[in-house]
Amino acid sequence: MNLEKVIFGFFVLLAATLNFGFFIGDLADPELHNVNELYAAVVVNLIATVLKFGDRTQIGAVHLATSLVADLQLISAAIAWAYASHVSSEGLTGEAMASVVSLSGGALFANVVSVVLLVVETVSFRRR
Amino acid sequence: MGNPLLAYWHRMFDGRRHDRPSDAPPRTPVPSVTQASTTIFLVLRRMRIPLIVLIVIFAVSVFGLTLIPGRDENGQPFRMEFFDAFYFMSSTATTIGFGEIPNKFTDAQRLWVTATIYLTVIGWAYAIGSLLALLQDRGFREAIALQRFIRRVARLREPFLLVAGYGQTGELLGRSLDALGRRFVVIDRTDTRIDSLELEAYHADVPGLVGDARNPALLGVAGLANRRCEGVLALTDDDETNLAVAMAASLLRPELLVITRTVSPAIAERMHAFGAPTVVNPFDRFGDYLCLAVRAPASYQLMSWLTGVTRAELPPRPQPPPPGRWVVCGYGRFGRAITAHLRDEGMEVTVIEPSAVAAGDAEVVAGDGFEPGVMARADVAHAVGFVAGTDSDTTNLSLTAAARRANPGLFVTARQNEPSSAPLFQAMSVDSVLVPTELVAREALARLADPLLWQFLQVVPAMGDAWAAQIIDRLTSHCGHRAPVFWQVRLDADEAPTLMRWLAAGDARLGEVLRSPEDRERRLDAVPLMVLRGDETVLAPEEDFQLSVDDELLLAGRPAARRAFETTLSVDAAGEYVTTGRYAPSSWVWRRIARDTKVTVGR
Repeated sequence: MNLEKVIFGFFVLLAATLNFGFFIGDLADPELHNVNELYAAVVVNLIATVLKFGDRTQIGAVHLATSLVADLQLISAAIAWAYASHVSSEGLTGEAMASVVSLSGGALFANVVSVVLLVVETVSFRRR
Repeated sequence: MGNPLLAYWHRMFDGRRHDRPSDAPPRTPVPSVTQASTTIFLVLRRMRIPLIVLIVIFAVSVFGLTLIPGRDENGQPFRMEFFDAFYFMSSTATTIGFGEIPNKFTDAQRLWVTATIYLTVIGWAYAIGSLLALLQDRGFREAIALQRFIRRVARLREPFLLVAGYGQTGELLGRSLDALGRRFVVIDRTDTRIDSLELEAYHADVPGLVGDARNPALLGVAGLANRRCEGVLALTDDDETNLAVAMAASLLRPELLVITRTVSPAIAERMHAFGAPTVVNPFDRFGDYLCLAVRAPASYQLMSWLTGVTRAELPPRPQPPPPGRWVVCGYGRFGRAITAHLRDEGMEVTVIEPSAVAAGDAEVVAGDGFEPGVMARADVAHAVGFVAGTDSDTTNLSLTAAARRANPGLFVTARQNEPSSAPLFQAMSVDSVLVPTELVAREALARLADPLLWQFLQVVPAMGDAWAAQIIDRLTSHCGHRAPVFWQVRLDADEAPTLMRWLAAGDARLGEVLRSPEDRERRLDAVPLMVLRGDETVLAPEEDFQLSVDDELLLAGRPAARRAFETTLSVDAAGEYVTTGRYAPSSWVWRRIARDTKVTVGR
């Protein structure tokens, strides 16, 4: 067992699950989307991205790309949320919440690709 | 920086002007280093932990701040949002610090913030410290240097040479190449030599790399993989390395010009097994030159003048000794080569060698030359020439002194190993000094100069002393005592468009075109050295030599003469005036008018 692989898999999966947790529920209902979960998703995604740094393989490069996409989407979602709840005069309307959640939905897709890559990598690994 | 105009020229007309198919990709894929691209991966990989530590510290601090209850200005309970917490932590962690916002903190909040301030400082210090340590890392710096080198080589837009080994030879050659406007790339094993590239005031940018030239991958990035590379020079002081470079070059790019240096005939043999490199053995070549100097002093003078550094002074003509017996001191590789050459020339040779290993084939006197009695035993008093050929300069100098004492009229030849001893050899007024590094540089340079000049130099020794003396007279009377510049011209529609009509008319005499385009009464300070017509060569053609289309000319002369001649070849009006004496109008309108009225001015 490789501890590095355990940590790597843990963070990749946790990023996806947190993201999913935030995303699930009615798109426009602020009650169903916990902002703490969004925060946790952003942090865990950033850590997962850094863990993917410095891998020279092709699959490593794609891993990094998916993570960067997820980061971009989640940070956009966080900014959208901050804008809606702090800057905008209307506050956190259903419309604003919908855009935050749909952005995190995009990130979820990238995270799912990341998990698929992880699974593919694991399945295709053979010890000779 | 190279000359941008030249770079443009090569980019536009590269393939057309050179017979060599320079645009064709190398036949065999040339290995390249992947090491360079690892640089960024190395940074990222080593930065993983510091970055994660930083993210975690930030995340914990921000999250903690949102959990701790605060109070707003009315004393009502208030929880910070992530937005406020993130803003506050960002300004605090980066030591900017805008104060407590949005409200004054409670003591509980202050407690937490105090802890996070220290935590974030540690996180930043760790991350920045790791990054700086990484930048100081030797492997990382080498990787950066390699990547920079690859970029610089890739940016070269002109044909360039790859020089492996930048010792004294490389430096001498580099200066001359730079003066000739040639570009080159350097690989050397030691970083002090590569650093010295920066100190040398070259006109052009010379990319240099610290590395082992035996590695084909390094040779690949240094130019073998580049289609603009036109030649490889292996000039290290290690024969094995030179052999490896010659091998790599001729296996991977068989069409390239390869020049290698070696002092061992066995290695030279092995080099010849791969392609057709020009192998320069300084000892062997010096033997040739010494014999030439003895047999034909003027030929020797001409050769050493023309192969010397750019615009060198005419060297003095050697005063050779009469035929007779020579004494060679030191029977190493140099001594053997010299002895063999002198014997080939029909001279009698006595060898002095401390370790009498060479016994058997020669008349050998065992002992050190400067020991009392040894000079007498070798009968230096009745010899005509003396060669001090050991690998120590002090020994050579004392041998020279001892030989001079025994026989003041002796023709003395000495081998100078260190450049720093040059003033001593000069003060001894040794008749002929071998400086191996200099000789290799000159030989390589002659080979790299115009192909026609190389061809010319090859035939000089065979033409005899009187002919060489005549050529020297002709050159000095036209061009003075500084070595002329050489250039070659092919008389075709590309290079001499203005002369085509004149050539086609027949009876085009060489002397008529070597005239100043300002005043055709004045002869240009240029001497035609050779005309190449098909496979036929004419050496030192006379003024009334009849030229025809597609002749190739090798000319020597002052730089101003070269410019004037090129004006004649390329500017219509100048060509017309020089060949016919008519002032042809140069503008389009006047030319149209002149065509109708045939305006002729002057003669």
